[in-house]
Amino acid sequence: MGKVSVADKMRIQTRFQSKGYSGRVSSEELEARHCEENLSEGFIYDSRNNLQMRGLVVLLISKAAGPSKTDDLSLQHDMVSGIYSSQRSLAEITELIHTAFLVHRGIVNIGELESCDGPMKDMQFGNKMAILGGDFLLANACTGLAHLQNTKVVELVSSAIGDLVQGIYYENSNLPEESSLTDDIGIASWKEQVFLSHGALLAKSCQAAMELAQHDTNMQAMAFEYGKHMSMSHKLNSDLQPFVKENAGNTSAFSLNSAPVVLHQEFLGREAWIQQIRETQLKGRLLDFAKLQEAIKTGQGVSAAIDLCRYHGNKALEALQCFSSSEARSALENIVRAVTRFP
Amino acid sequence: MASVLWRCCCRSVGSHRPEISCARNRFLVSPVLEERRQIQYLQSWVPGTRACRSRGTEAFCFSTSSSLFFPKDYSLFWRTSPGFHYIAERMYCCGKAHNNEKNVDPFKLGQKDLKNIYEDIKKELFVSTDELKDMCEYYFDGKGKAFRPILVLLMARACNMHFNNCREMFASQRSIAIIAEMIHTASLVHDDVIDGSDSRRGKSTINRIWGERKAVLAGDFILSAASVALARIGDTAIVSILSQVIEDLVRGEFLQLGSKENENERFAHYLEKTFKKTASLIANSCKAVSILGCPDPKVHEIAYQYGKNIGIAFQLIDDVLDFTSCADQMGKPTAADLRLGLATGPVLFACQQFPELNVMIMRRFCLPGDVELAWQYVQQSDGVQQATYLAQRYCHKAVAEISKLHPSPERDALIQLPETVLTRTK
Repeated sequence: MGKVSVADKMRIQTRFQSKGYSGRVSSEELEARHCEENLSEGFIYDSRNNLQMRGLVVLLISKAAGPSKTDDLSLQHDMVSGIYSSQRSLAEITELIHTAFLVHRGIVNIGELESCDGPMKDMQFGNKMAILGGDFLLANACTGLAHLQNTKVVELVSSAIGDLVQGIYYENSNLPEESSLTDDIGIASWKEQVFLSHGALLAKSCQAAMELAQHDTNMQAMAFEYGKHMSMSHKLNSDLQPFVKENAGNTSAFSLNSAPVVLHQEFLGREAWIQQIRETQLKGRLLDFAKLQEAIKTGQGVSAAIDLCRYHGNKALEALQCFSSSEARSALENIVRAVTRFP
Repeated sequence: MASVLWRCCCRSVGSHRPEISCARNRFLVSPVLEERRQIQYLQSWVPGTRACRSRGTEAFCFSTSSSLFFPKDYSLFWRTSPGFHYIAERMYCCGKAHNNEKNVDPFKLGQKDLKNIYEDIKKELFVSTDELKDMCEYYFDGKGKAFRPILVLLMARACNMHFNNCREMFASQRSIAIIAEMIHTASLVHDDVIDGSDSRRGKSTINRIWGERKAVLAGDFILSAASVALARIGDTAIVSILSQVIEDLVRGEFLQLGSKENENERFAHYLEKTFKKTASLIANSCKAVSILGCPDPKVHEIAYQYGKNIGIAFQLIDDVLDFTSCADQMGKPTAADLRLGLATGPVLFACQQFPELNVMIMRRFCLPGDVELAWQYVQQSDGVQQATYLAQRYCHKAVAEISKLHPSPERDALIQLPETVLTRTK
C-alpha cells in the first residue's frame, strides 16, 4: 500500500488526526509480528501498535480457517503461509477504513470554536486536510475492494462503512456539547451503538475473509460472530480501564457513555444518578471526575461491565470452536483472553 | 449539417450573453483568423502535454480507456479545423436522422426514466437516525439539474438501441444513474465543507445547518450506500470502473490544492483536475451503462469518450459561469473560485493577455484586492470567450463520438445535450 504515503505526509500537517496510527499498513509487517506469537497484552495495549489490531485479526482468522474444501487449484497457488493474497488485501483495506474514520472523527465544527482554540485559519486548514485525508484512505479502500473481484465482499465491507458512520454519528450526538451531560441510554442501546461503531467493521471483514476463501455460510457466520464479540469485549475492556487500574492516583476524564457508567446508572436509576452527578458538579458544568469515579466504583456497574466483557469473550471463544485447532486459532484465543483479563 | 448545428449553438449562446455574442460573430465572419489564434495558443501547451505523456506521469495514464484530454489525433483535429465540418459530417453515419434532432429535448426525453429516481435513492439511504436521514436526503430533493442521471439514462438507452434495437432499459443501468448521482452528491457535501461554502442550489449547505462533523459523516454515508448499491449489481468490472471514479474525485481535489509555476503545465494541470473532478464520473458511468447494454468494446469507448468530452465542457462552462452569471441564477455566490484561490479556465486564458495575473495566480489571490483585480482582468480579456470556445471544441468531439452510434431518439438527444451544456445559465 505504497499509496498511503501521501496521506502520511499529510498527517504531519494535520492536527486533528488521531495519535498512534503508525502509518503504512503492511500485511507482511503484521504477519512478522504474528510470527513472534507474542500476542498478549503487550501487543494489544502497546500504544503504538494497537490500532492495527483489525488487520491482524483478519489475517489470523484467514489463516485459522485455511483453504476451503471446495477450493479449486487455481486459488491454491497464491496462498502464502496459509493466507490468500486477497485476504491480505482485505486486512489492509480493513485498516484503511478504520484509519479513515479515525481521521474523519477528528473534524471540528468551525462554528463552535472559540478564540482560545487557536487561529481559525489553522483549524479550517486542519479540517480540510482531515476530510481529504480520510477521503483519500476511503478511496483507496474502494479501489482495493474492487480489485478483490468479489461483489459480495464489496457489499459486506461497504455496508460496514455505513454502519461505522452511523455508530460514529451516535457517538457524536452523545458528546457533552450536544446533550445535557448524560444520555438516558440503557445497556441494550449501548450495545447496539458500540456494535456499529466498533464491531461491525471487524465482524464483516472476518466474514468477508471467509467468503474470499469460498468457505461455507456456517464458517462465515462464525467468523462474523468472533469479530463481533471480540470487538465488544475489547471495547468493554477499554471502557473499564479508568475503573480497574491499580494506580487510581491519576484520574483522567472518562466518558459518561462508557459501559460501566451506563450500567451503574441502570442499577442506580435515572433519578439517583442525576443526583449523584449534581453532587460532583464543580463550578459551571465541570465535573469532579475523581469523585464521580469513586462513586461508580462503589456501585455494581463496574463488576457488571466485567461480566459483560467476559460474556462476549466467551461467545467469541465459542465461535472459534468451528475452526480446527492451530497456531492461528490459539493466537485468536489469546487476544480474547487478553481483553477479558482484569487485575 | 454539423455546421448548421454549430451556428445554431453559437446563436443561442449569444442571445443569453450579449458580451460574448460579438466575439462569436467575429468568429463567424472570419473563422480562419480566429482558429489560427487558437491554434497558436494551444500549440504552446499541447507539446507540453506530450512531454508529460512520454514521461509516463500518471496524469496521462488512464485505466483502460485511451489517453486523456487530447486524443492522439488532437493536434490534427486542430490543424485541420477549417475543414473540421467536413470531417465531422463524414463521421455521422446517418446524416438524415439529424433532421429530427432539433425536436429532441434531452431533458424531456430523459424525464420519463428520471421519474422516481430520487425516491429510489432515498430507499438506498436506509438509516435509523432521523437526523442523519434528513442530512443524507437533503440534496435529493429533486431540485437539482439531474444532469448526470439524465445523461447516463439516455446513454443506456442509446447503447441498447444501438446493439439490438432493444427498447428496454436494464435495472442495472438505472442503478448506475442512481449511483452516479449519489457519488456526485457525496462529493458535493465534502467539497462544501472543504471550501467552507454556505449555499448551494439556492439553499444553505449541510455544513452550514448541521456543522462540519456531521456533514462529513453524511457524505461518507451516502458514499457507502452508493458502494453497496454498486456491489448489488453483481458485476466486478462495473465495480472497478466506478471505484476508479471515487479515487479520481479525491485525487482531483488534491490537484486543486497545488498550482504550477509554468504556464503550460498549469493548463494541463487544470484540465487534468477538471477531468478527475467532473468528467471522470460522467465518462465512467457512461462506460458502465454501455458495458451493461452492449458487448462491443468500440461502443464502450464511444460512451467513455462522449462522457469525458461533455464532462470537461460542462466544467469549463461552469467555470465560465462563475464569471458571467449573477448569484441569483447560480444558487451560489459567483467569483467563488477566485475567492477560493483557484485559477480556472477564464483566468488562465486571461493570463495570456495580462501577465500581471501570474503573480496573483501563484499566491492564490490571497492579498486584499486580488480577487477584484483578477476579476477585472478577466472581464477585460477574452478569457471567457476562449474558455467557452474550448468548451465548444470538447462538445464537438462529444457529438462526433456519439454520432457513431446507430440513430435513436436517445442518441439524438445526446447529440443535442452539448448545446444545453453550452447555453446553460445555471
